[in-house]
Amino acid sequence: MLQTPDPAASAVLAVVFLPFAAAALVPLVYRALGERTAYYAAAVALACFGLVASQYGAHGAVTVPWIPSLGVSVSFYVDGLSLLIGFLASGVGVLILTYSGGYMHGEPAQPKYYAALLAFMGSMLGVAFAADLVALFVFWELTSLSSFILIGHYQRQGSSQYAARKSMLITVSGGLFMLVGFLLLHDVLLDVTTASNAFNIVWMLENAELVQEELRAAGMFLPVLALVGIGAAAKSAQVPLHIWLPNAMEAPTPVSAFLHSATMVKAGVYLLGRLRPILVGEEWQLLFAVLGLTTMTVAAILAVGATDIKELLAYSTASHLGLIVAGFGFVSELGGETGAFHIVNHAAFKAALFLVAGIIAHEAGTRKIENLGGLWEDLPVTGAITAVAALGMAGVPPFNGFYSKELLFEAAWEAAAHAGGLAWLYPAVAVFGSVFTFLYSIKFLMLFFGEKPTGLHSVHSPPKVMLAPPLLLGVLAGAISIGGVLGTFGVHFAPFDHFVGEVWASTLPPAAEGHAFHYYVPTHLTPAAAMSAVTIALGAAAYPFYDRLHRGVNRLTDVDLLRANWYYDSAVFGVNGWSDAAAGRIQNGLLRTYATWAMAGVAALALAGYAAAGVGVPGFSGFSVTLAMALVLGVAIVGALAVSIAPSHISGVLTLSILGFMVAVFYVLADAPDLALTQLVVETLLLVIFLLVLDKLPAFYGNAGRGKMVRDGALSVVVGATVFVTVLVSTAAAPAESIAGEFLELSVPEGGGGNVVNVILVDFRAFDTMGEISVVAMAALSVLTLVAMRERGETQ
Amino acid sequence: MSTVIARTVTRTVVPLILVTAVALLLQGHNLPGGGFIGGVLTVTAFAVIYVIYGLDYLQEELLHQFRDPLLESFQHGIVANYQIAFAVGLAVAAVAGLVPLLFGYNFLYQSHWYLPALPIYGELHVASALAFDLGVYFVVVGALLTILAVVGTE
Repeated sequence: MLQTPDPAASAVLAVVFLPFAAAALVPLVYRALGERTAYYAAAVALACFGLVASQYGAHGAVTVPWIPSLGVSVSFYVDGLSLLIGFLASGVGVLILTYSGGYMHGEPAQPKYYAALLAFMGSMLGVAFAADLVALFVFWELTSLSSFILIGHYQRQGSSQYAARKSMLITVSGGLFMLVGFLLLHDVLLDVTTASNAFNIVWMLENAELVQEELRAAGMFLPVLALVGIGAAAKSAQVPLHIWLPNAMEAPTPVSAFLHSATMVKAGVYLLGRLRPILVGEEWQLLFAVLGLTTMTVAAILAVGATDIKELLAYSTASHLGLIVAGFGFVSELGGETGAFHIVNHAAFKAALFLVAGIIAHEAGTRKIENLGGLWEDLPVTGAITAVAALGMAGVPPFNGFYSKELLFEAAWEAAAHAGGLAWLYPAVAVFGSVFTFLYSIKFLMLFFGEKPTGLHSVHSPPKVMLAPPLLLGVLAGAISIGGVLGTFGVHFAPFDHFVGEVWASTLPPAAEGHAFHYYVPTHLTPAAAMSAVTIALGAAAYPFYDRLHRGVNRLTDVDLLRANWYYDSAVFGVNGWSDAAAGRIQNGLLRTYATWAMAGVAALALAGYAAAGVGVPGFSGFSVTLAMALVLGVAIVGALAVSIAPSHISGVLTLSILGFMVAVFYVLADAPDLALTQLVVETLLLVIFLLVLDKLPAFYGNAGRGKMVRDGALSVVVGATVFVTVLVSTAAAPAESIAGEFLELSVPEGGGGNVVNVILVDFRAFDTMGEISVVAMAALSVLTLVAMRERGETQ
Repeated sequence: MSTVIARTVTRTVVPLILVTAVALLLQGHNLPGGGFIGGVLTVTAFAVIYVIYGLDYLQEELLHQFRDPLLESFQHGIVANYQIAFAVGLAVAAVAGLVPLLFGYNFLYQSHWYLPALPIYGELHVASALAFDLGVYFVVVGALLTILAVVGTE
C-alpha cells in the first residue's frame, strides 16, 4: 500500500463535534438570524466538508485518551470508506441545508428542525469515523434518535407520529441486535487481545483473519454475522425491515432527501463495508447477496406500484440499497467494487431526484403521479437534471448508475459461474429486479413529458436556492457519466478513480490484491453487457404496459398477508392491546393493587436471582442472645402478631409502633445508641404522620373475602421470606476482618469526634451523605410537583 | 383530637423537643445525635402542632400568614419557606464541602479545633463538620416538613 499521511487529530475531532456544538447554538442563532439560520447551518456543514476534505488521502487512526487511568480512549479511523461517508454526509448536508432555506420558508418549529439536522449530520459523521465499536453504536443510535425528531417534524399529525415511531422502533431495535453482536465479538476477542483492542475496529481490520478464526473456533461466527446483519438491514431498509423508509417521507422533503440518499440509510451499508474485510466468507455471501437481491427486486416492484413521487423514490432507495448490499455480499473483489461505486452513484442521483421531487411538490402543489405530466415546458432546468439522474438510476448507458450496475451483474455472473446450480439465480434475479428499476425510473422521467393532465395549473420556477443544489448534484452525476465515456477512450479522471479505488480498498480483506479502479462503457460483448442489454430491452418492451403492472402490484399489496406493514401493524397494535389490558389489571388506581404487584414482583425477582446465582442460605454460627434481648424481641413479635388482628386502624398503628420501639430498644441493647435514637425519632414521626392520615380513612375496609385473605397472606409470607433471606445472605457476606476497628482508631485523631457514626457520616463518607440529602430534597420536590400538578389538572 | 389536656401538654412539650433537637444536632459529633436525628426530631415537634392544633394554626396564628388555596400556598405560603429551608441546607452542605478547596484540601475535607479557655463555658471543641451537619439538618427539616404539609393538606 502507498505510504499515506496520518490524519490530523484536531481535524477529525472537529468534524465530529462541530455539528453538535453548532446544533446547541441554533436557538440563539435563530433569535438573531430568523429564517436565515439555514445558511448558518449550511456554513457549518461546509466547514465540516472542508475538514473532511483536508483529510483526503490520509489513512490511519486518531486516538484521543479520555480516561487514561482506566485505559479508555476515543478513537477515530480515517480511510477511503469513512471519507466517502463523511463527504456524503457533510457535502449533501451543505446542499440540503441551503435548499431548506427556500423550502422551509414559513414552516413551524424551525430552530428544532435545524438543530436536529445538524445533530443528525454530526451523528452520521461520528458513525463514519468511529473506530470503536461502542462509539460506533452510540453514534448509530444517535442517528436514529435525531431522525426520529426529523421524521416527526409535523408533530401534531398522526401520520408523522406513526412514521417517526415506526422508524425509531425498527432502526433502534435493529441497533440493539447489532450491539449484542458487538458484545459477542468483544467477548470472543478478549481471549486473544487486550480489553482496549477488543472493541477497536482498526485492530480488527489489521488482524481480520485472526478475528474470523477466533469467531469460528468459538462457534460465534454465525450469531455475530446474523446480529450485525440485522442491525445493518434495519438501518438500510432491507426486506422485510424496509417498511419504515416509505413512511419516513412524512418528513419535510429536504429531510427525506438527506435520510434517503446520503446518510441514515447509508449507515447500514457503511457498516457492511466496514466489517466486510473481517467477516467476509461463504456465509456472508449467502446472507447478504440473497438479502440484497431480494430487497432490490421487491422494493423495485413496490416502486412500480407507488402512486406518489416521494413514495416511488423511497422504494427506489430501498431497492438501490439492496443493490449495494448485494454488491458487498459477493465475496469477489468485484463485489466490493460494486458496493463502493454504487454508494457514490446512488447518492448523486437520488439526492438530486429527491430535491426535484420537492420542487415538483412545492411548485405544482401535488405529488400524485397521475396528476403530473408535461412539466418540461415550465421547469426545463429541473427536467434536464431529472433526465441525467433518472437515466442514471435506470442504469442506462452511459449514465452513472449503469457502470455500478454492470459491476453487480459481473459479480453475480462470476459467483454463479463459480458455484453453479442454484447460484444462477443471482444473475437471473439481478436482471429481473433491474427491469423494474428501469420501469419506475422512466416513469419518473416521464413526469416531464407528454400532455399536461387537466387540473394542473401552470407551474412556477423554483427559487434559486432550491434549484442550485439539485443542479450541482445533477452536474456531479453527469460528470461521473462523462467519466465513463472518456474512460472508454482510455482517458481517466484520475483523482475520482483513485478515490473510489480507496473506498474499494477499505472493503477488501487485508490479504486481497486490489488493482487500480477504472470504469468505462463496455466495447465488446461480456456477460454483464448482455445482461444490461436484456434489462433495457425487457424494460422498454414492458413500459407500454406500465399502468397494468402498476395496478397488478397494487392488487397484490392489497393482500394483507403479503404486506410487511400488515405484520408490523398487527404486532405493534396487538401489543398495545396487551399492554392496555395489563395496565388495567396492574394499575387499577387502587394502592393495594399497586403494592401487591410491586411487592410480588420484587420478591419473585430477588428469589429468582438468588436461585439463579446459586446462593445458599448460610448456617447460623455464634448465635447468641442475652435474656434482655430475647425479651425485647419477644415483645416485638407479639406486637407484630397483634398488628394483624388489630380491630381498627388506630389500634393497628399504635401496636405497630410497639414493634418499632422494641426494635429501638434492641439497638440500645446491641450498643448502637445512634441507631436507637434515629429509630425512636423516626418511629415517633411516623406515628404522628399515620395519625394525621388516618383521620381521613374509613375506620374499616369492610370484610375481605376468604380468597383475598389467603392470597394476601401468602404474599406477605413470601415477602417476609424474601427479606429474611436477603438479610441472611447479605450479612453472611461480611468480610472476615471488620473495618470497624479502623474507623474507631481514626475517628478522634482524623475526624475530631467521639461519635464514630457521626464522624463516618459527615467526614469519612461525607460524599455519600451529600448524595443522600440531595435525594431527600428531591423526594420533597417530587411530592410537591406531583400534588401541585394534580391541582392544576395536569393528570396525564 | 384537641382536648384541653392535649393542647396544654403540647405547649410544654414542643419547646422541649426543639431544644432537645438542637442539642442533638450540636453534640452529634461526640455523643449520639447529629444532623439527621436532630432534623427528624424538629419535624416531630411541628407534626405534633399540626396534629393537635391543625394545619392552619401554625400558619395563621403563629406566622400571621393568610391561608391561600393549595397551589398558591406552594408558591408563596409556608411551604415555600420549607422549600427555602432545604435549598439553604443543600447550599450550606455544598459550601461546607467547597471551603476546604480554598485551603488546598480535598472536597469535603473536615478539620477541628479546641478552644481551650472560653469564658463561662470552659473548653470547647469545634469541628468544621458541624457546618456540614447543619446543612443536613436543614435539608431534613425542610424536606420532611414539605412532605408533611403537602400530605397533611391532602
